[in-house]
Amino acid sequence: MNGPIDSTVAWLTWRQLFARRRLYLAAAFSLAPFLIAVVFRLTAGDVEGSSAGFFMTLCSEIVIGTLLPLAALVFGTTAFGGEIDDGTLVYLLVKPIARWRVVVSKYIVAVACTAAVMVPSIVLPWLIVRNPDLPSTVPLAFLAAVGVASAIYCALFLALGLSTRRALVLGLLYVIGLEMIFSRTFAGLRSLSVREFALSIAETVGNTLVRFNQPTVPMSTVWTMGAILLVGTLAFSIRSLARYEVAERL
Amino acid sequence: MTAVPDVLESSVALTVAPTPTKARIELRNASRWYGNVVAVNDVSCTLGAGITGVLGPNGAGKSTVLSMIAGLLSPSAGEVLIDGHAASGRPDVYRTLALVPEREAVHGFLTGYEFVRMSARLQQLDDVDGAAARAIALVDLESAQHRRIGTYSKGMRQRIKIAGALVHDPQILLLDEPFNGMDPRQRIQMMGVMRGLAADGRVVVISSHILEELNDLATNVLVMVSGRLAASGHFREIRRLMTDRPHTFTIRSSNDRELAAALLGDASVFGVELTSGGILLRTADRGALTRHLPRTAKAAGIRLLEIRPTDESLESVFSYLVER
Repeated sequence: MNGPIDSTVAWLTWRQLFARRRLYLAAAFSLAPFLIAVVFRLTAGDVEGSSAGFFMTLCSEIVIGTLLPLAALVFGTTAFGGEIDDGTLVYLLVKPIARWRVVVSKYIVAVACTAAVMVPSIVLPWLIVRNPDLPSTVPLAFLAAVGVASAIYCALFLALGLSTRRALVLGLLYVIGLEMIFSRTFAGLRSLSVREFALSIAETVGNTLVRFNQPTVPMSTVWTMGAILLVGTLAFSIRSLARYEVAERL
Repeated sequence: MTAVPDVLESSVALTVAPTPTKARIELRNASRWYGNVVAVNDVSCTLGAGITGVLGPNGAGKSTVLSMIAGLLSPSAGEVLIDGHAASGRPDVYRTLALVPEREAVHGFLTGYEFVRMSARLQQLDDVDGAAARAIALVDLESAQHRRIGTYSKGMRQRIKIAGALVHDPQILLLDEPFNGMDPRQRIQMMGVMRGLAADGRVVVISSHILEELNDLATNVLVMVSGRLAASGHFREIRRLMTDRPHTFTIRSSNDRELAAALLGDASVFGVELTSGGILLRTADRGALTRHLPRTAKAAGIRLLEIRPTDESLESVFSYLVER
């Protein structure tokens, strides 16, 4: 109980994140790429020749570009947002636990859940379309990218969930606006895009060209900006919870 | 509230007497404001063992006071101390303090047992299961403990919240409208639990808008009006200090009409009314009346059957303070 993670807060967060409908949503995030891969396998003419390109596109566009930020948005904002909305956060705040430990515990669980949901979305399609052009280093590279991106996204969305009751809407605007549109349109914004960080990591770790025709962000930028985003937003969350006051009726 | 200066000035004297228990709540000139809105204004009081009721109309500042005592809200000015230390920013205070919030929301996806056990684990108790079982038994919810809280009635939710708060045997228990949704039997049972805690030397602070509940339960009251502490202490003591308001008694005797006529000559009496239930008497000097009444009755050869104050209820005191 003396480490940075409180196991009871972590357990409660895990139960919250997978309560009712979110369980189905998590299953959809996990299995959608698998179903797409099955359809590809059944319909593509030259499976052997095109599976590498298909898998790269699936992972970079569908998994990292779309499903990962959405999963992190759901888990990151719900980790605190749900309890703030319904008032149950007070049950954690009146316990002898430092508030920073509450933040860190919830953050770790949100990251673990996001990454865990994304693992099948990479591994299962790879099992469907794998061939000699797709060695196991490729899905491993994407898994490493998902791990780092989950950590940054969840820190961002956790802070958003603590800051506003419209976290889900604002987070969705961020994902669609910056991650899906502007960072692809304006090269200067790539150094702010977590999706671009993830693709750079996948390319570096897998030693394979993940994206075609577009340079990815240099790794020095990935680590610098990633660390700033992660540490900055986590520090913001810790500060926000430390100053959090229950001003309305209890 | 300047309308009742005699009560306010004496509020320190009426403050709940400190008791041998270690637990103690102190508010020292505590104020809390939001922008230009003053929610709580310069409240000072000390709460020791026993049950204290926090009363006041909506918006009087009751929940703000409770939030400040619970350390969930810092005072804008002044201090709120638990056992001599600041209440806010100290997680350790929750080893001795527990809160039952007014909001009905409890984690609906957990069972009652899981919720109470979670509270025990967060309190880092040695015997988590034993503590959870004891707390659930105390609120008489064993039969429903393995059901999801989402399926509970409002009264059951209140009781499981109380079980969660009591699981670590706190010295200080703060309850915001704890009896909401409980049926009369449950209410009586929970009042028994509160009395037991108070008798055991715990500090129990209850905010309620149902005066009858506190009338039966609270040894002392804090009356909040417009963010200020209008009065504190035992409500009968507060009533006695309201010297600008006549005391009213109902008197029954062997000859009400003759006694009424005799009492009209008493300088301490300034109103007598004959009713079907006896004499309704008003006096500004309670002490003088209690001295003169037996003598007057004896001189007139009348036997006194009953003397009953009719305006010393909590409701009467509360209405007076709020209306002023």
